[in-house]
Amino acid sequence: MNRRGFDISVATAGRSIVRVSGYPVFDNCITFLFGESGIGKSVLSKALYGFMNNTDLQIEINNNSYGSHLNDPWTQAIKRNSFFVFQEPSSHLNPLMTISDQLNEGSLAGIHEEDILSWLWQTSSDAAIRKLLDVFPKPYRPSGGEKQRILLAMAFKRIDAWIASPPSGEPTYFVFDEPTGSLDNTFRNLFLELLFNKYAVKPFTIVIITHDYSIISEIYNRHRQLIERVHFKELSRLDEDEVTVNDFSPGEYLDWLAAPRPHPSKHLVVEPVLEVQPRFSIFGRRLAIYADSQRTRLQPLLINKGDMVYLKAPSGIGKTTLAKIIMGIYRAERFSMALDGISITDRSPMSLWSSSIWGKRAGMVFQHADESLNLASTVRETFKGLPLKKHPSESDLVNHLTELFDGPIVDSFLRKKVAYLSGGQKQRLNLLRTLILGTDLIILDEPLNGLDFTSVKKVLDLLDEKRAQGGSLLMISHNEEIFEHFIDEENIYYLGVIE
Amino acid sequence: MKTARPPLVKFVSGKDGRWLCIWIGALFGLGIWDYLFLNRPAFERIINGFINTLFIALLSVGFTLAMAWIMTLAFHRLGSVKKRSGFYVLSFLLNLIRSIPQIVGILFGYIGIAALVTAGLLPGKAITFILMSICMSGFIMPEVIDLLRERIDHYTKLDFFNALRVCGVSQWRIINFDIFWKNSRIHILNKLISVFGSAMFLQCSVDFIISVGLSSDVNAVTLPTTLGSLLAKMDSKQDILAIGNTLTNPAYMPQLFFQHLQGLTVAFLIVITLLAVYQISCGYAERHRL
Amino acid sequence: MRARLIEHMLGIILVTLLIIGALLLFEHRATAVHERQYAGIKDLLDAPISKINDPFERALLADCMDLYYPGRHDTNAVLISELIRFREDAFNKSMQSSYRTKRLSIATFREIAGMYLKFLLMYLIVMALTYYGVETLGSLRFIFKQQRRQQHDLLGRPRAPLFIRAVQTAGKTIAYAVLFSPAYVIAYSIRTEFNTDSAFFMILLGVISNGLLIMYMNKFYAFLVAESRKGYVENALVKNLRSDYTLSGPDGISLRSVFNPAKRFSGHVFDHIFRNARFQYLSTIKEQASFLITGLVIIEMALNIHGHLTYELLRQLLYKNYPLVVVIMLAIFYTVKLTEITTDLLVHRESRRYENR
Repeated sequence: MNRRGFDISVATAGRSIVRVSGYPVFDNCITFLFGESGIGKSVLSKALYGFMNNTDLQIEINNNSYGSHLNDPWTQAIKRNSFFVFQEPSSHLNPLMTISDQLNEGSLAGIHEEDILSWLWQTSSDAAIRKLLDVFPKPYRPSGGEKQRILLAMAFKRIDAWIASPPSGEPTYFVFDEPTGSLDNTFRNLFLELLFNKYAVKPFTIVIITHDYSIISEIYNRHRQLIERVHFKELSRLDEDEVTVNDFSPGEYLDWLAAPRPHPSKHLVVEPVLEVQPRFSIFGRRLAIYADSQRTRLQPLLINKGDMVYLKAPSGIGKTTLAKIIMGIYRAERFSMALDGISITDRSPMSLWSSSIWGKRAGMVFQHADESLNLASTVRETFKGLPLKKHPSESDLVNHLTELFDGPIVDSFLRKKVAYLSGGQKQRLNLLRTLILGTDLIILDEPLNGLDFTSVKKVLDLLDEKRAQGGSLLMISHNEEIFEHFIDEENIYYLGVIE
Repeated sequence: MKTARPPLVKFVSGKDGRWLCIWIGALFGLGIWDYLFLNRPAFERIINGFINTLFIALLSVGFTLAMAWIMTLAFHRLGSVKKRSGFYVLSFLLNLIRSIPQIVGILFGYIGIAALVTAGLLPGKAITFILMSICMSGFIMPEVIDLLRERIDHYTKLDFFNALRVCGVSQWRIINFDIFWKNSRIHILNKLISVFGSAMFLQCSVDFIISVGLSSDVNAVTLPTTLGSLLAKMDSKQDILAIGNTLTNPAYMPQLFFQHLQGLTVAFLIVITLLAVYQISCGYAERHRL
Repeated sequence: MRARLIEHMLGIILVTLLIIGALLLFEHRATAVHERQYAGIKDLLDAPISKINDPFERALLADCMDLYYPGRHDTNAVLISELIRFREDAFNKSMQSSYRTKRLSIATFREIAGMYLKFLLMYLIVMALTYYGVETLGSLRFIFKQQRRQQHDLLGRPRAPLFIRAVQTAGKTIAYAVLFSPAYVIAYSIRTEFNTDSAFFMILLGVISNGLLIMYMNKFYAFLVAESRKGYVENALVKNLRSDYTLSGPDGISLRSVFNPAKRFSGHVFDHIFRNARFQYLSTIKEQASFLITGLVIIEMALNIHGHLTYELLRQLLYKNYPLVVVIMLAIFYTVKLTEITTDLLVHRESRRYENR
């Protein structure tokens, strides 16, 4: 087993972005790289692969100029025979070229793709695959999950070419940056299975960058034979720009998952906060809320005071859509709900939400902290303009922030631009902005996005505290393993489409 | 890593800062040369014309911003209510303005203003300036409205707008503070720089046309003197024609810079200003990676 | 799309009605005003005065009037000055009779139609040339920029000798100055040497002056730069598409494909970038067209070239022949609307295709 270490630094003209020493590449092994978002996982892997733009950025690798890294035989070889699957599949497909063309250009031309596609889509129908290939990638069609699988299919084509090539001893470097971000567990597991099967035929270097800690369980349950070839690593911050690579112990996660949770104390008085009738239609689809995973028992979504409810559905069904309907952002048909005793239907005027719901009775944390926060504002300004009875004093604000941020909150942190916070910090700030409103109902869409394991535990503890204080929370997440562990079965609802 | 440089050095080392210096330097250089070699009345006329042009262009920028901002808010308000007839009427009118070539629209506007001046209906020079600027703004405004609406659209397509809305932040605060002030200042300022360029260009062209074509009806007496009307004067035109003479007869060159100074100065002022404003706007966009 | 078309049609109808209304109003007013204006001096028109401008005769007239209509000296003075205006008016009219009599007849209409066709033809030619120029120059600028970047990435920062850089900068500045000059500055500065009234010269001016080419070239270039930063370009690089930006060699971009109007760069990363930039630029065509019309109007009006549509507009404006002005305005308005409809249809067709419909 050969381990390469790289010292990498990336800076713009005035500001260092990220520095690391001994960034590891384990030849012909499988490496999982965890760490909060925005810490520099993607930047470092891209710099190593040779994508960075040396004119706008100053990059040094092993104290050499980036030019010499680009000319290095290692870089040249991996560029020839490896692949990089980028995160955000939507922006990584050309909107003006059919998917089929994009799957067959450059060095992907002439490699069979039928087997890969029929595996990833679990279909043997040629027609179904053709239907997919002949379209141009558009924002909603194909869906995010499908686009993700298209990018994965490209990587698999290159893997096939590598397997078919004569033994050369050349290095490889297949990077998968958040490959399962838009996949639900079924497709995630299919992808891992295919990847590991190919790996078994002829090993190659795999790096999987992810936030999905439940992947660990999947490996331990179904791919145990690989464990000695697998490395779990975590990137953590040393200071503003310097990061370090540590071992991540999978046991830590598995033990946390296995530990029994104290049963939450029920509130004595049952006081319904939100009740959503189980049937409604939107965008020409009829959706329904069920009490069981087989989706046979229709049931109104009921959240009482002090309840934490988890809404579960495969990706693309409309979990976020339902949350936005409740918050009055989307209009559904035949929809009816009661919130804090106010009965609301699809005919209620928009002004109802702005006058008495938003920030007063209900709040919602959106999934992308980067989009939901004003990146140009400071941390302090993030809490301005909210409909609070009294403006929070400086010390109120500091107290509130300490709930999720480590260490003393100093003035320079309050004056810091949100854009300069790390992804995990943004996610926490996003959460705190809604929590400070103290609304009866809080909807959280993927609240664990972009967090490292320490923050995941912290956020879950805080949410549980809010619940114990009488808050009502509706959770939406594809992180099934964690929430199923965290939330009682009776509080899990299932969203489905009525055919 | 480069060491941090003082802000002024950083500004001047950029393309925008450099061109701002070039522009100001050129103006001063030209001023000194003209002070030495151009006759006094002509020199005063040019300074007067240049300041008038600059003033009208700046006023136009101000009016354009104000009008575009009001229109954008109106669009947003009318677009968010159920009955959208007001929205359609407004966008119909805006598209109608767009369909009139700017130069033609402004030309007619100026002729109207000149008629008012002749009829003695405009009490002061200030009013004339303001009317001219408003007229110009009316035809440049659509560009700025497009930009402002584009910015709002961008943020409503993201979760940004809704995420702030459901926190109970008022939509006007989101638009004016979070979107325009915090996240679009640079875009807006960049647009305003190019609006300033357009205003200069259109102002000079319209005045040139009016002075050349309509001299007997609307002339420099009724409207304030600007670079365009100065250039259209007979002696200025002769000076410009002399440039062509120099192309085939290089020996004539030195006389160009002494005898034909008035026209040459005016033409140079127009060209260097347009060029500098354009380069400043490009440099500004580069600096902020727009 | 249907809504857009309806809007365009409504705009056309509304403006046409407005303008026809204005036309009728002018026709009506022209006669009415004339009659009303000189109503007061109707009786004086036949007064046996030959030279009203002669101070002596004027004083004589004033005295006569004061005798006939005693006690209203002021009114009399006004009447006399009106009489002077009337005489001047009549004199001017006779001087300009050749223009003045130009009313809306079939013949003038035909004359204007001819000018309009010429205008339209020139507009189309300049439009096509600038569109081609914008794409070609924008691409070239982008390619050169990428060449420098690649050199820099691999070799560090090479610098040409100071002298060469100085010459380059000076050349660039002069070229920019010419491209930025308003058309009238360029035209007057070379008028003594060339026939600036020829159609060829006008087309040339239309393309290079007023900053049109340079502005939209840079807009296209900005689109290219914006597209080149997008994710799908990275993805194309992973697929090992050609990414060498030199203008020769098997992996580069051939100069011929850059100058070819169709511009295909298959197998090269630039193909991805160019396609998207061109698609983005489609909606800017409208803006470019309207700026181009402004430019053409400036050229025609400022150069005083007889027999051209917008110069005719200016002239008729001068002679207060409003019906003709209105007709020419309508023609220009239709041209803009037609361009808008065409580009809207074009954008609509293209985006439908890429939306899988």
